[in-house]
Amino acid sequence: MAHEKVNGCVILKDLYYNVENNTWVRVIDDSTVAIGMTDVAQNLAGPLLHAKTKKVGTTRKQGKPIATVESGKYVGPVKSPVAGEITKINDALSSDAGLINKSPYNNGWIVEMKADDLSSDLATMVSGDAAVSAYKEKIERDDIQACEQIEGADTYD
Amino acid sequence: MEDQDHEGKKILVIQTHGVATPNRTYSPLFYAMAAAAMEMEVMVWFTMDGTNQLKKGEAEKVQLVKDSNVNLKTMLEMTMDSEVELRVCQQSLELWDMKTEDLIEGVEILGATSIIDLSLSYDHVMYF
Repeated sequence: MAHEKVNGCVILKDLYYNVENNTWVRVIDDSTVAIGMTDVAQNLAGPLLHAKTKKVGTTRKQGKPIATVESGKYVGPVKSPVAGEITKINDALSSDAGLINKSPYNNGWIVEMKADDLSSDLATMVSGDAAVSAYKEKIERDDIQACEQIEGADTYD
Repeated sequence: MEDQDHEGKKILVIQTHGVATPNRTYSPLFYAMAAAAMEMEVMVWFTMDGTNQLKKGEAEKVQLVKDSNVNLKTMLEMTMDSEVELRVCQQSLELWDMKTEDLIEGVEILGATSIIDLSLSYDHVMYF
């Protein structure tokens, strides 16, 4: 899978990103997407202890939380990058929130959603080289420390 | 236990501990941020000794996490960034000989009657 590393943080080029909220979107079909936290986000949060997802059937506007995550030093929302309904949640996170640290783009996915208007939502995000550039800018602007992959993390090299 | 969704509920956190007891300053702010992350409306009310952490220049002196640059000022700023409202007791300010201009930015002053009204109107009060 095409990817690039920015300050040690993995950016997959085939995903869409809401850079401000540090979330990614993987398009599954015309209206269904998987959503998760980026490598940058999981590094900022630190080793996660709990991830509490909203229930299947919950409707969300863009920017409303689909989950809350907490580590020893951080607690915060995972804000939805799309408007729509949660159709599936990653049950594995309830017993192992660390999946988000180890595999932010694969096993650590958080929810699937049926988007109300996916094309409009995707238009607010960046992908490919534009995502890499946006993250370079963000990492520099926010003075984000280099990402460190924890033991058992997905390898992309 | 049924895992209920409490989005939209209102939580009032009352903090009575300040810079002299750093270990008692972290958790109330962490809980406030957690509630805000869960889409609740959250206010932290500082009174008694809790008031002195809001004086300009004081919170940054309180180191909270070993080997890290996280201090109490960082936590207060993170709490406000989470859209948690910070309020301080008018009468407690006088106790600490503090004036409005001594307060860090973003904190509003309320009187005792307001806190009584608020505590009755919120869904839950957490007292520290």
